[in-house]
Amino acid sequence: MTADLTSYGNEALPFVDSRIYSESSIFEEELQKIWKKVWLATVHESELAQPLDYRTLTLAREPVIIVRGSDNQIRAFLNVCPHRGNLIVRKPAGSLGVAEPSGNANHMTCMFHAWQYDSLGRCVDIPRQKQGYQDRLDKSQVRLTALPCEVAHGGFVWVSLDPAVMPLADFIGDAFGFMREELESEPLDIFHYHKAFIRSNYKLWHDTNSEFYHDYMHYFNRATSMMQKGYFDRHYTTFANGHCTVGSMEVKYDAYQGAGDRPLSFPGMPRNGWKMVDLFPGTTYNIRGSSLRVDTMTPIGPDLVMIEFRGIGLKRDTEEERARRIADHNTIWGPFGRNLHEDLLGITGQGVSMRPGTAPRRVLHGRRENLSIHDEIGMRHYYSEWARRVGRSPADPLGEGMAAE
Amino acid sequence: MSGAPEAAVRDLIYRAALLLDAERFKDWLALCAEDFTYRIQTYSPEIRKQMTWLQHDMPGLRTMIEMLPRHNTDHGQLSRHVSVYAIALEDGGKEASATSSFICHRTMLDGINAHLDAGETQLFLVGKYHDRFRLADGRPLFRDRTVFLDTRRLDKGSHYPI
Repeated sequence: MTADLTSYGNEALPFVDSRIYSESSIFEEELQKIWKKVWLATVHESELAQPLDYRTLTLAREPVIIVRGSDNQIRAFLNVCPHRGNLIVRKPAGSLGVAEPSGNANHMTCMFHAWQYDSLGRCVDIPRQKQGYQDRLDKSQVRLTALPCEVAHGGFVWVSLDPAVMPLADFIGDAFGFMREELESEPLDIFHYHKAFIRSNYKLWHDTNSEFYHDYMHYFNRATSMMQKGYFDRHYTTFANGHCTVGSMEVKYDAYQGAGDRPLSFPGMPRNGWKMVDLFPGTTYNIRGSSLRVDTMTPIGPDLVMIEFRGIGLKRDTEEERARRIADHNTIWGPFGRNLHEDLLGITGQGVSMRPGTAPRRVLHGRRENLSIHDEIGMRHYYSEWARRVGRSPADPLGEGMAAE
Repeated sequence: MSGAPEAAVRDLIYRAALLLDAERFKDWLALCAEDFTYRIQTYSPEIRKQMTWLQHDMPGLRTMIEMLPRHNTDHGQLSRHVSVYAIALEDGGKEASATSSFICHRTMLDGINAHLDAGETQLFLVGKYHDRFRLADGRPLFRDRTVFLDTRRLDKGSHYPI
């Protein structure tokens, strides 16, 4: 039997098979066919404000370093020494302007054998090169593996592990069209970073970010949004390559005791507005009035994901404005905020019920409400792209003829 | 050798920890002056900035506490182990400051898989309390608390003051 890869199996009531969230073989395939092939939002450019600033990270298990070069251009490299494959830069962030015990300032130095690279990825020193390699290897032939890298869409550094990846502009399409003014009018600046390890599948977090029916879980959202005018007028728009957006409404923040109006905003953003962009395979931009939250994910295993949360404001913020944005952000989105804790509890519970080895189950993605806020088109659109890339039906991922019940 | 005001400050810090452990948040606030301010901060080596993760004045704390029953949580029981390291009297004994180290454990009830995890105690947070006090007639009240966290990976996070 040949599965219709884009089919949800039951068009009357679409579902996915829970094993897309738990099977190790599917997870490994996702790393190869999705995470190593697409553009991924990584750090914000304000995390590398000065020449020689760097950030290290892991993309689909590959160690990566992002460096603002001495020429002020941001680049991404595999953070792996071409000599013996060791990790080169080990701190999460810093400046190459600081000398390391094994190497000179302005260089990335592999502490193992002190091979040194400049901020453009060129090897500038191989200790005792002539004695060891004679004329067989010269440092001019050695450089770090450069990765496709662009700064775009609000100053985020987008990186791909695939040297043949399609242009970022083609991958994103017009998904940021309705958020462009907020993101591109002036420089943005990071004020918040934290991360969470959650025993759940990464797609379940993206599912949560891609549907609003779970607002029933959040008292804050019920009070300030669901019970307010305009909530059910919010609509999804889908874009090529699995992305979608959710339109704005005016949130009544003062309907929650202790919260208040959010007079600060972003250029072009309606006062107390709320816009979201969900990007395949695991990034979400979420502007709620005064603060932009960007979620990025690092899948660790089928049942473990690291989620990084960033809070972003305007670079020109006064001290008072920045404090206001931070307070607004923390009300619901900080590690002690009202909503984030609840959202993370939600996917933790799914992680328990869909852990590897559990029986296949049908997980409904079937709400249809004319693409309005409780429609589940965001998830269905995502899994159409997922099916296209991994070559499996989300409803029948192992080709068993809809085994999940 | 510390005197009576220092002992009173130390006692207040420990009583606050017991009340917070017992989730007697209103009783905890009764140990605080009306102009009390509270914040949770940490430093991120990733973005190389100090961050504020929660900040409230007294009305804000009261509201936050009143709203807790309306929110879903994991019902983990937080237990604070506090060591008061340094107390300094200031302004002729009318003010004081203290630095304490704390470890906060979380004993699981639900939030993951209750059948497997309920009863397990996990290390949740490590950090320091930086407290300021106002003393009247030898009785101290909290005027300000900064909870400065070393721990930055809180995973599911929490709805409770630390």
